Amino acid sequence: MNSAVIAEFCEGIDRFARKKINARAIDRAHAIPSGVLSGLAELGVFGASIPEEFGGAGLDLADACAVVTTLARHDRSVATTVGLHLGLGRRGLVAYGSAALKERWLPAIAAGECLAAFATTEAGAGSDLAAIRTRGVEVAETAETPALQVDGEKIFVTNGGFAKVYTITASTPGLGGARRGHSLLLLSPNDGGVTVGPEEEKLGLRGSSTTTLHFDGTRVPMDRVIGVAGEGMSQLQHVLAWGRTVMAAGCIGSASAAFAAAKGHVATRVQFGRTLDAFEVVREQVADMAATLYAMEALVGSATSGDRLLAQSIAAKVFCSEANWEIVDTALQLHGGSGYIEETGLALLLRDARVTRIFEGANDVLRVHLGMIEVAPAASRQPLSALGPLGRAADDFAMRVAALRDDLVARHGVRIAREQRLLHRVGQLVVLREATDAVVARAHADGTLAARWLALAKARSLSLLAEPNQSTRVVTGAAPVAHPEGVHA
Amino acid sequence: MMTPDIQESRVRRILSDLTNVPPTEIKAGDRLREDLGLDSVGSMELLSMLAEEFDIDVEMEEAAAVSDVAGLMALARRHIA
Repeated sequence: MNSAVIAEFCEGIDRFARKKINARAIDRAHAIPSGVLSGLAELGVFGASIPEEFGGAGLDLADACAVVTTLARHDRSVATTVGLHLGLGRRGLVAYGSAALKERWLPAIAAGECLAAFATTEAGAGSDLAAIRTRGVEVAETAETPALQVDGEKIFVTNGGFAKVYTITASTPGLGGARRGHSLLLLSPNDGGVTVGPEEEKLGLRGSSTTTLHFDGTRVPMDRVIGVAGEGMSQLQHVLAWGRTVMAAGCIGSASAAFAAAKGHVATRVQFGRTLDAFEVVREQVADMAATLYAMEALVGSATSGDRLLAQSIAAKVFCSEANWEIVDTALQLHGGSGYIEETGLALLLRDARVTRIFEGANDVLRVHLGMIEVAPAASRQPLSALGPLGRAADDFAMRVAALRDDLVARHGVRIAREQRLLHRVGQLVVLREATDAVVARAHADGTLAARWLALAKARSLSLLAEPNQSTRVVTGAAPVAHPEGVHA
Repeated sequence: MMTPDIQESRVRRILSDLTNVPPTEIKAGDRLREDLGLDSVGSMELLSMLAEEFDIDVEMEEAAAVSDVAGLMALARRHIA
């Protein structure tokens, strides 16, 4: 969709949200009023990323991100509910589902009559998706008709309390010829043997629904397998990349709200005879917030427009969730004592921001994963020096990251796969490099914020680029633990 | 000099440790992802464990090309010969 149309679409959502969405009331009630969800459905929000042939608006990932950013400026619970529906909840079905499965489900999903959820986490399988125990096995429903029987339990299912369609991950041994393969399955609360657990009590996002889903002998037709049976893990990478990017877009909305509140506050709050923005230390913090927000927008924009969605979605998720937290925390700090009081809305923003560093992949796990992607043979980075001094600075930074990476690979070879702390460190640098590259590519019109961001990235990368110690792996048993500073018992 | 049987047995044990599939059930034609349940990170960890077990150096490019048990055994034979 062209940018003018999506801008108008988001303006409509923004007008609706100003009138109808009350974040504090949603937080207190632990629920989103049905009128908000039905109003968003009337606006066409739930069909935003559904193909037009199935009744949706056919928006791409970038447009879906714009919708979620817009909603998150008003309330993160609403943005999470919608974002999950637009991203993880139905991406597998849209990207890999059979024509029959799409025709059966997508029109209702697009109309908002059928909210979508995504269920993968289990008690023993959080970031370790290979540990999934929910099983889908082929059984003979009748002599001629095979069926799929699903048994297991999923936890922390966003939208679980009211979703009418779930995409779940399950171990499907033997299906599609894969002995220990996994598959994406489409289930519904109306399928027999499905039990929805009670709502979880949460630190934040209290208006969103989070439940368990229990499958006890749930039998569905074999055509409920989404895509190729046994190849669910490969498909899952794409689905998760969408989900992470949409989640990062939500962080932009929340951080924007906090930044706007901080700017307004420091421009009017008088202390020592001057408004707060007259103080250099305050101005510096506001400038850092602006530069970081600029980098968040640039990185999500780059992820949605480029051809490296897997790696960039990880970088965007890690960067935006950390930056969201920092910006909200700084905004709260600049408000002084009033920031700690619910009335200003910052306490809610802070509580809502916390989980973004955990869900859609815990950030430390994702940093290690990103480090692993970086050390594996990969396509080379496109130089940015043609974009002027900022581009040359970005190239210089990228070369230093590459030098560190090459040194580590030369030292450890394939054994680096077990050097978790080194991979984590590389992952942190990759996040900063991706943000920097995105900022420089975006910075044609506004070099000030970009230069500020480059200074921040440089400061943050100094210790990471220092000479790494040879091996940092923790030795099990009674042996001491190696630290860069020495050996500690 | 390590016999091929001992070498293969140690490779199977490493695979078994990582995947919880009994060594006797691991077949040469098994694919690391689809048949043994290893994701891309798990596959790299497997190669790393192999390098440590036999004290060999494996290039990242060579490791990344391994997608099944037969390929893993072949890599082990090349380096341990």
